[in-house]
Amino acid sequence: MADYNTMEQMIVTGSRELLPGVSVAVGTGAPCAAAMLAQKTHAPDLLIIFEAGGIDPQLPEMPISVGDSRTIWKASQATSMTDTMEAFCRGMVDYTFLGGAQIDMYGNLNSTRIGPDHQKPKVRFPGSGGANDFGSFCWNMMIMTPQDSQRFTEKCDFITTPGYLQGGNSRDESGLPKGTGPYRIITNMAVFDFEPESKRMRIISINPGYSEKDVQDNCGFELLKAKKIKDTHPPTQKELTVLREQVDPYRYVIGR
Amino acid sequence: MPRLREKTKKAEILSLEEAVKRYVKDGQVIAFSGFTGFNRNPVALTWEAIRQGRKDFHVLDRHGSCSSWLLNAVGAMKIYETDWMGWGEMAGKLDINLNKRYQRGEVILEDYSHGAIAMRFLAGAIGAPFIPYYAPLGSDLYDDKYDALGKAGLRDGKHPKISKKKYIQMDEPFWGDGQVMLLPAARPDIALIHVAQCGEKGTARWRGIGTIDKELVFACDKVIITCEEIVPESELRKEPNLNQIPYFTVDAIVECPYGGYPSAVPFYYDYDAPFMRGMDAASRNEDDMKKWVDEWIYGPATWNDLIVKVGAKRLLELKADSTTGYSTRILRGKKPAPRVTMPLSVARSGY
Repeated sequence: MADYNTMEQMIVTGSRELLPGVSVAVGTGAPCAAAMLAQKTHAPDLLIIFEAGGIDPQLPEMPISVGDSRTIWKASQATSMTDTMEAFCRGMVDYTFLGGAQIDMYGNLNSTRIGPDHQKPKVRFPGSGGANDFGSFCWNMMIMTPQDSQRFTEKCDFITTPGYLQGGNSRDESGLPKGTGPYRIITNMAVFDFEPESKRMRIISINPGYSEKDVQDNCGFELLKAKKIKDTHPPTQKELTVLREQVDPYRYVIGR
Repeated sequence: MPRLREKTKKAEILSLEEAVKRYVKDGQVIAFSGFTGFNRNPVALTWEAIRQGRKDFHVLDRHGSCSSWLLNAVGAMKIYETDWMGWGEMAGKLDINLNKRYQRGEVILEDYSHGAIAMRFLAGAIGAPFIPYYAPLGSDLYDDKYDALGKAGLRDGKHPKISKKKYIQMDEPFWGDGQVMLLPAARPDIALIHVAQCGEKGTARWRGIGTIDKELVFACDKVIITCEEIVPESELRKEPNLNQIPYFTVDAIVECPYGGYPSAVPFYYDYDAPFMRGMDAASRNEDDMKKWVDEWIYGPATWNDLIVKVGAKRLLELKADSTTGYSTRILRGKKPAPRVTMPLSVARSGY
């Protein structure tokens, strides 16, 4: 095994999706690390938006909270949540990273509860936060999450953040903005996109150290496969150095 | 009928005790300033309300915070319209007390999303009855099966602060945009707001992010402001573009240094993450929780005594830099790195 962990691989893969000049809405944790890494490597002009009001900061160190003052360091604006929601509502945010306790083959996300009874759930999670808003309005929703067959489930117990709903045109038909929706799922084992017609999750690359069988065995539904499945590029030494020394020197995220 | 508030208010400067005594009542629909447990929570006000035995609150807020955490630590919250049951992100995501009380049926939890609650406050601020919003389409958050206040029989029109429906989905009638969701305005009884500076008339200012505090002061019927310092109005009026809260929305002003602790007040002090982790740890065990409540809520005789108990050493570490607005002296995370004057990443950012 190479000298990096799966969290570092996921963050690096996520950061590479963020090209120079695009905008991304992030929360704390791995998504924030990916955005910071992109900003400190290939995309210094990456526009990062925090829903609490920080717009386009140059992140000096890892914020613990979306409301952390570190989210306004050298920012364009320290504004309000109603203002940042205007940017979302008007389609000015290209990418977002979300997570969830469950995800299905259409990229629907559950961050609310596990169990059939809404009032007496088996496990209750904090809930949507900004996820529902991000997932509905950002052009490309990405998910960074470890993969197992419980989390990658046939059917979410609750859809907090709609992905492609029942697949096909169902997201458009629900009234959500056309052209938006899940874009990449980045796990410890592989990277997925969504097949354009059926809107089903599809393997596009597999991380070093894992096989196609590992990826399917750790998924609760049948995955589609791209015509040519690539090998995910492992992190470069430069990416790892920046990630470890500048982005997350205290290992809040990469130490998990 | 449009919902007008009483005519121009005249704010009074009160003590923390007096402000709570006069304005905070059992069972009120209440909203808090700031963002999660980390930014400008009205902690001193919530703390004082609990000490005066106020209870049965209906909290309408985007997310948990130090204030909602305190209410659940003593069982003083009855209804929670929110979108995030955590309170402090990386310092312990789920509010353990809230979760326990929810599982026991002691709190009614109504789920929305950040944007949805922000929009509801925006509607409340302009006196509108509801607001159309697209993000909720397709989400199970808007399904009658999961309408907690409806299931509890509270949407019967007899509760003036609870809307008769959680949402209405309709065909957008003006432009032919398709489906849209209508969300009811937020109309709380009272807003508890903590800011950096407030003038003697009530003009208030913070630095850093504003979250939805400006909307709160217009949407809520009563507004209490605590501030790090009361400053002459004439000073605030030298740069009116930096003031966010107009004085005529404010009912009471309280000067309360460190009134947001352990959350941060940008350019005054940083959040105290180790203290918050201690709160989270205490909530994982009934005995520890009781000890924490006795020690930190009922122990100190006044808010100043609580701050004295926190201690000068800790407050010096939290003291915000005048340039960054946060502290570069305190080191965060589970395993503090050795003391350095400035994290490497800040030094490299060209500070």
